[in-house]
Amino acid sequence: MLIYKLAIRNLFRNTRRTILTVMLIGFSLAALILTNAITGGMIKVMVESVTHTISGEAQIHRLGFRDNLDIDLYLEDSSDIENRLAQDNRVKSYSPRVIAGGMISSSYNVTGGAVYGVDAAKEASVSKLKLAVVQGNYLSEHSTENATEILIGKPMAELLEIGLGDRIVITLAEANTGELTQALFRVSGIFFFGTREIDENMVFINIEKAREVINIYDASHEIALLFHESDITATTTQALLREFNHGETEALDWQDLFPEISSVLVISDFSSFIVGFILFLLASLGVINSMFMSIYERIYEFGVAKAIGTKPIQLLQLVLFEGFLIALMSCAFGIAIGGGIGFYYETRGIPMGEFEFAGIAMNNKIPTVLTLEQFTQFPVYVILLTLVATLYPARFAANIVPSQALQKSL
Amino acid sequence: MTSVITTRNLCRQFQDGENIVKAVDEVSLNIDAGEFTAIIGPSGSGKSTLLNLIGGLDNPTSGSVELSGTDIAQMSGSELSDFRRDHIGFIFQSYNLIPVLSAEENIEYIMLLQGVNSAARDKRVKEMLHLVGLEGLGDRRPSHLSGGQQQRVAVARAMASHPDIILADEPTANLDSKTGIALLEVMKALNEDRGMTFVFSTHDSKIMDRARRLVHVEDGRIDYEECP
Repeated sequence: MLIYKLAIRNLFRNTRRTILTVMLIGFSLAALILTNAITGGMIKVMVESVTHTISGEAQIHRLGFRDNLDIDLYLEDSSDIENRLAQDNRVKSYSPRVIAGGMISSSYNVTGGAVYGVDAAKEASVSKLKLAVVQGNYLSEHSTENATEILIGKPMAELLEIGLGDRIVITLAEANTGELTQALFRVSGIFFFGTREIDENMVFINIEKAREVINIYDASHEIALLFHESDITATTTQALLREFNHGETEALDWQDLFPEISSVLVISDFSSFIVGFILFLLASLGVINSMFMSIYERIYEFGVAKAIGTKPIQLLQLVLFEGFLIALMSCAFGIAIGGGIGFYYETRGIPMGEFEFAGIAMNNKIPTVLTLEQFTQFPVYVILLTLVATLYPARFAANIVPSQALQKSL
Repeated sequence: MTSVITTRNLCRQFQDGENIVKAVDEVSLNIDAGEFTAIIGPSGSGKSTLLNLIGGLDNPTSGSVELSGTDIAQMSGSELSDFRRDHIGFIFQSYNLIPVLSAEENIEYIMLLQGVNSAARDKRVKEMLHLVGLEGLGDRRPSHLSGGQQQRVAVARAMASHPDIILADEPTANLDSKTGIALLEVMKALNEDRGMTFVFSTHDSKIMDRARRLVHVEDGRIDYEECP
């Protein structure tokens, strides 16, 4: 059809303007893809930091334990729960923990903290505790060897003025009776997560020893778990958690455990939307301006076209098709730029330095996360928005009065 | 003779500040099929406005314009577009070809609007190029044609839709004398050989010399007519 041939040729009457318009829209699309990819990367890192540092993607507790870490509220059927988790193919790994608040004393100083009794092997499969050890060794896996081993955070070690091999006395209250009890440990390793709350307040000992000290044999206060699929759907997660969520037992995913992080993600999504909206508002104004310039240059021509019988709807189609072609070229350009940069940083990560955000130690590199929707939905939005932006100048062209457009008249 | 154009008490007024300007004032005119008529007059006399009204490019303030028996003043915008496409051929002073289309495509454009099939279009394009003496130049874009050649393409485009009448607004104004005469001879031949009706708006003596009827317009009114 000649109208379409005309539209294609019209685009290249002023190649520089067409290229600039394509670049304007294309860079906006690329910016939108990259903003989304970086935000996705930050969310991924943030969620992984939350879930893989210590807490896991979900936790099972006795109801009410989380309110004030009451050591009397332990999971008596911990072994049964562990057995069920071990057989569930949705669960990648789990780690039972005994948690008690206590006093940690060295020869030089004393401080309060949370004592975590953990199974060395299982804990290594759920959290980054083993990786965080910066001096000495991780806990031994055999209970006979690790009875007095303790891992302590670097800042706490500095506060207590102790190092590897030094002795620590931990004072705890026994479960059920509340009787005070003490145990002696030797520092086997010093860890550093980069998260103040963990580094300054937590120590890790063998779970059997912890059970023995507070007198809760075979029980635990918390079972942290990871799923096989990190992006496991809420439906699947909730289905699994529902199975454990009954009676005196509560099972919560990370979004319930850290509602403040969920809020950050909602805000992050919203800010991405605002950035995208502003980007495309600006691009749309650029398109309107460009199309109007193009129409004003050809106003006499449109007048002639209408004079010889071109219908308003045909002129509307012509200008809209020109806008559509610009949108297509812009999408190709934007996808190439956005996809290229996004793909480059997907494996390498964008260096951001180390920082703590919302109490979470962030990795020093944020990988971009590329998704199918960035390359399908976003270009569709661009095309639709460009067509909407083109509608105004297209209507102007369609409504041109021939005698006025011809100025000098026929 | 069959009447192609009939205007009755045609008026077109414009608001100029607080004043009302009567560009066309109570013009009643009849043009028969096969005429070669020139509307002449000084600048600002209203000849171009009259041609706009006859061609349906402007709406009259009052009065009527009948083209081939149809009152175009009562038509909607879309109906007027169709009517112009099928019944009127236009030739403009500045050629006004579509620059991104070749000469052939410019001629073909109006036939596409009419829905003429491909084979008929090709045949008619060749015929029109032959009529205006531009065989072999059909694939050239306007920028690669001289002013005279471009105006010939404009004549071919105007003819291609098989209109009842061709309205030409100072078609020779941008051409040198020799090229202008050559173009007029083409149009004169079309008028004589094919009976095509031409109405010119002009103050070019070359057109006046060839016209069979001169309509003198002054201050928006027909001053007098003559048939030299």
